[in-house]
Amino acid sequence: MHVIACYSNKGGVGKTATSVNLAHAIARSGRQVLLCDLDPQGASSYYFRVKPSKRLSETRFFEDSDRFADAIRASDFAGLDILPANRSFRDFDRFLSRIRSKRSRLSKALVAGGAEYDVVVLDCPPNFSLLSENVFRAADRIVVPVPPSTLSERTFEQLVEFFKDQGLPRRKISAFFSMVEGRKSLHRDTMARMRAAYPKRFLAASIPYSADVERMGLRRAPVAEYAPRSKAAACYADLFAELAL
Amino acid sequence: MRFAVGGALRRDFALYDCFDQPLRRSGRVLLRTGRDLVLLSDDSAPVSQKAEPGRGSLPAIAPGAVCDALTGLSPLRALMEHCAGRAETISVAVLDDMEKTCLRMQVITLSTRSGVATLVLMEPMRGYDRAHQRVVDALLDCEGASRGATGLWPVLLPGVQPYQSKPEVPITADEPAHGVAADLIRSSMSVFRQNEAGIIDDVDTEFLHDYRIGLRRIRSVLSLFRDVFPPEETEELQRAFSDLMAPTGRVRDLDVYLLGQSGFLALVPEALHPGLDLLFARMKTERDVAQRALARHLRSARYTARVAALEARLTDPEGLAPGPESERAALPYAQALIWKRYRKVCKLARRIDADTPDDDVHRLRIHCKKLRYLMEFFGPLFPKKKFRKILKPLKGLQDNLGLFNDYSVQQMELGRYLHPDNDAPVATDMAAAVGALLATLSRLQAGERTRVVASFAAFDNRAVRSVFEELFHQPEEARR
Ligand SMILES: Nc1ncnc2c1ncn2[C@@H]1O[C@H](COP(=O)(O)OP(=O)(O)O)[C@@H](O)[C@H]1O
Ligand SMILES: [Mg+2]
Repeated sequence: MHVIACYSNKGGVGKTATSVNLAHAIARSGRQVLLCDLDPQGASSYYFRVKPSKRLSETRFFEDSDRFADAIRASDFAGLDILPANRSFRDFDRFLSRIRSKRSRLSKALVAGGAEYDVVVLDCPPNFSLLSENVFRAADRIVVPVPPSTLSERTFEQLVEFFKDQGLPRRKISAFFSMVEGRKSLHRDTMARMRAAYPKRFLAASIPYSADVERMGLRRAPVAEYAPRSKAAACYADLFAELAL
Repeated sequence: MRFAVGGALRRDFALYDCFDQPLRRSGRVLLRTGRDLVLLSDDSAPVSQKAEPGRGSLPAIAPGAVCDALTGLSPLRALMEHCAGRAETISVAVLDDMEKTCLRMQVITLSTRSGVATLVLMEPMRGYDRAHQRVVDALLDCEGASRGATGLWPVLLPGVQPYQSKPEVPITADEPAHGVAADLIRSSMSVFRQNEAGIIDDVDTEFLHDYRIGLRRIRSVLSLFRDVFPPEETEELQRAFSDLMAPTGRVRDLDVYLLGQSGFLALVPEALHPGLDLLFARMKTERDVAQRALARHLRSARYTARVAALEARLTDPEGLAPGPESERAALPYAQALIWKRYRKVCKLARRIDADTPDDDVHRLRIHCKKLRYLMEFFGPLFPKKKFRKILKPLKGLQDNLGLFNDYSVQQMELGRYLHPDNDAPVATDMAAAVGALLATLSRLQAGERTRVVASFAAFDNRAVRSVFEELFHQPEEARR
């Protein structure tokens, strides 16, 4: 089982858009995927039309493996299941620590039709600093959307510093430029500068700023479903390919 | 909840099972719609794979999910098409108020000349059990709806019962013997007639096997139910059924050899296997020629007319004239017949030792067989548990005598392959292999022969004797 966290210590950078389209692309490649919507706002659940379950808003949710498994919903797409949004993360910490242990009741409950999920995608909420470190440890990959702006540059620097300070493996970080507007010289310059500063941390693939992605809220489906020939869909496919999962 | 209905897909379909419907009996249904094969089950999720073009109307089942799930089928039986027609498949999605799919269904309408059935295949989605349950409940409320796949059978093939090669014929103790005999004959008549089509189409070897069992049972009833019919009538019917049996022998013999190939190969050294392979190849050719001749015979107007006449006569309550014993009550009649036959078996067997001629052993085998038939025919009149107690050692004795006979017949028949046929020279490889096989068979036959005394002793013990006595020996005054 491969755990991928879509993470940024900034909000509105495209974590949810990435989680949704990436999970969809992975499932389409024939793998069993579980997308965990960790954002209490339930944005990725919403994109898949899955209601946040009321029963799940109670505390201690992540401690109870059976209830955790009961909460999983099939999406409309083959091989892709959703763990809908939940309001409490008190036990998420424990969830993260248990997800990797083969013998824990949690990982036994985490099965799709008898087999373990191939990939678990975590759509992380903003202001997640408290638990960040555990996410970094539990995940095999940390996919970080970075809009090419000065502020993002600063945030990304902090993230890399944090990894350094904590002795976390920086190679887990797979950053990519998100919401790129190629006509803006500010974007082009920032990207060039950051690629030079972090030659190994940035993927070649990037996601443009696109009305097709914005329409996700209206269509409530992954981009590749309603705009399969769009630039954005192609870029998400490139991103998936480059992650080489 | 809202239903989103997709477009209709129209294809042909067919339903497959073996003749004796083992899939249906185990709650499974094998369907082909277009190029899709699907195995439905009353108690697990359906599995599917693509159908490859196969022999005639039957698709080839390549390795795959369906192939894996087709377990528990006899290697002697083949799948066959039981019905075919048109299928219309409509995909239906059940959506909630957020337009999220909660359940997918395939609604398949199967129509044949004899019926129309609608099959709803549910594809439940994780986390949406409630929606699934609601739809299932609503569907089951519809008139005529049933859960499970085997419900298709009575709708598509009304009146087609699961085939039974030895249907039990109910008997009451005081029913006249004539009625019992007539019922047994009718039941076996239906068995052999049901197998005709499968022999003609050469579906599998069991059709001919069961056909012959049916005929043999009729002949046994005619010969064993002494004086129930007038002697002239019995004789005439015996001749008629023996005429039906005659053209089937060669194909069945060859079938038995071909089915037993691996057993025969094991009887000779490996170096001689190529020689036996030649023999089997020749047998296979012979068998196919004989099978085609048999199929022609069964299709012929002459055969059809003869069987129809027999059937009309035997199914007519007045068709069989009564003999002197026809009014005897079934129970005392059965007891007398079985007791007499049992005594005969014992008398003959007790005389057998190492020096007794083989002919006597063969005679013992025939008597045992007759005893067994009588016990089978009249079985419903006797307590099952006690019956089993005496049947088991009888079977043991019969197996021994049967093998003794088989080995002797096989030596005779295989020996013929050592002689040139139509001036075609006998391949040396084959001759050597057959020679070795004959030697082994003769040794095996001798082995069975030495066991006869012991297997009879196992049958002729006090416990078995007392059960025979208790069940079948009537006090003097009860006898006529
Ligand atoms: N590549 C993009 N082009 C245009 N709009 C985007 C793009 N990615 C995200 N958005 C929009 O930006 C907003 C925030 O994106 P979201 O994925 O929810 O970010 P996060 O999860 O990091 O908070 C959403 O309204 C989304 O539709
Ligand atoms: Mg988000």
